[in-house]
Amino acid sequence: MTEPDVLVIGAGPAGVSAAVTLAEAGLSVRLCDQGPRPGGAIHRQPAPGAAGRVPVPAAQRRRWAALARRLEESAVDLRPGTVFAGLDATGAVLVEDRAAGTVAALHPRGLILATGAVERIMPRPGWELPGVLTAGALQVMMKESGRPPAGRTLLAGSGPLLVAVAAQMARLGCPPVAVVEAGRPLAVAAKGLGLLATPAILHEATGYMATLARHRVPWLQGARVTCIAADAGALRVTVARGTAAAHKPEALGFTVDRLALHDGIRPNDTGLPEDTQATDNGGPHILRAGDCREALGGAAAVADGERAARAMLRRLGRACGRPSPDLSGFRRAQAVLADLFRPAVAPLDHLPPETILCRCERRTLADLRRVVADGAHSAREVKLNGRFAMGACQGRFCAETTDRLLARLLAEGAAPGTTAGSPGRARWPVRPVSVAALIASSPTSPSDTPLHED
Amino acid sequence: MSGATFTWNGRPVPFLAGQSLAAALDAAGVRDLGADGLGSRRRVFCAIGACQGCLVRRDGQVVEACLTVATEGAEVTPVTSTTPEAHHD
Repeated sequence: MTEPDVLVIGAGPAGVSAAVTLAEAGLSVRLCDQGPRPGGAIHRQPAPGAAGRVPVPAAQRRRWAALARRLEESAVDLRPGTVFAGLDATGAVLVEDRAAGTVAALHPRGLILATGAVERIMPRPGWELPGVLTAGALQVMMKESGRPPAGRTLLAGSGPLLVAVAAQMARLGCPPVAVVEAGRPLAVAAKGLGLLATPAILHEATGYMATLARHRVPWLQGARVTCIAADAGALRVTVARGTAAAHKPEALGFTVDRLALHDGIRPNDTGLPEDTQATDNGGPHILRAGDCREALGGAAAVADGERAARAMLRRLGRACGRPSPDLSGFRRAQAVLADLFRPAVAPLDHLPPETILCRCERRTLADLRRVVADGAHSAREVKLNGRFAMGACQGRFCAETTDRLLARLLAEGAAPGTTAGSPGRARWPVRPVSVAALIASSPTSPSDTPLHED
Repeated sequence: MSGATFTWNGRPVPFLAGQSLAAALDAAGVRDLGADGLGSRRRVFCAIGACQGCLVRRDGQVVEACLTVATEGAEVTPVTSTTPEAHHD
């Protein structure tokens, strides 16, 4: 089996854009994705048996159609159901083929990581209960199925994704019971903050808001979830509205089947190697592309995938005169959105001590205070003594929150480090891998090197 | 709906062709995917294979429900199921 020149991880807009650009330049490219078909999250495609189609903005649909056509016409070797497991000590790239149940050690000359974004989710009492999921999860399952989730759903957190998902649910016939938004975007927008510089955002947002108004979906601003409790097979969600400072916050209760949370997005880069020059012992050039490099959204991801491909061509000695696309407009747009949706009350304030921070290991805020009181004053000690970020998610959903709360608990000015672990020291596997697959691994390099522990 | 089903704890669950176990279970009203052995309940949370919260046992093998396409006749149970069929390893 011949090895590809370049291995691309992630068949979302950045990965596909990078892969087709490289293939069109004459390189052999293998494109791996954990899912059964390309698209990633933003361009998640309906399953073959989908019951309908989630409405998405026309520009977004056209963007994916163009990429999918180029992919189909290219010589890119697409491998669905394949998960990136990291690099071993010799620089071999490990990928798990889920269907075959094997892990392969590959030696491409270049590796492009396009693993997209992951959502920030702030802890709330009861967020570990079944029925609580991310708004992005609700959206990808809705896109795959072509129909909205059944039952009563509450959307809560902060950010434009909440209104987009709410509008999509409404247009498919099952609107959420309400959208609970921690920011006050209307009040901020009234100050004329930069919206005129980003007409595309304004146009899209106005469309979503009009849909919510038409379907009478309450959109509560300056509001946040303070408690989630199991209630006879459903969830009882308590929402506080209004800042604690000026007035007593108003408390509202909702009984729902599902609570979808969203507090922003960040690169899905836990355990990923940094951009790297090829190493002497055969490790590849490594570049990141798209949201996993910098979370700027789907349109930017296409441009960033092309940028990464051209940078890789230069690394591999191919002349490439095309200028890099300008991402400053996308950065401006993200800055405007961040200002618009800034929470009125800081999400980590007022957490009860029994609030779970690390859901995998069931560690609470009280546990964090205890491990600090017992003498831990670095993130590493908190992790090793307290088990924070040591569970199956490898810190993906708890490390950032734990680090921020730890910094508050320690003396002012202390720099405790991070429970996420520094990228340079990340060891494979960066995602859980079955032992059976490792045992069945079939090295594909001519020298027949087995997997190496570091 | 094609009529195809897999089983969850022995109970038939319909699915759309190409749909993930996670989406099919959610559509069937199944949100609790069993105990995780540390006091929490497993459940679909991120749906992108990042959180490992939706682990289930499909035909004896532990997989993420959100990354696994539903297939006709698959036997899906909680990871820590105590039914005799789960004690193969």
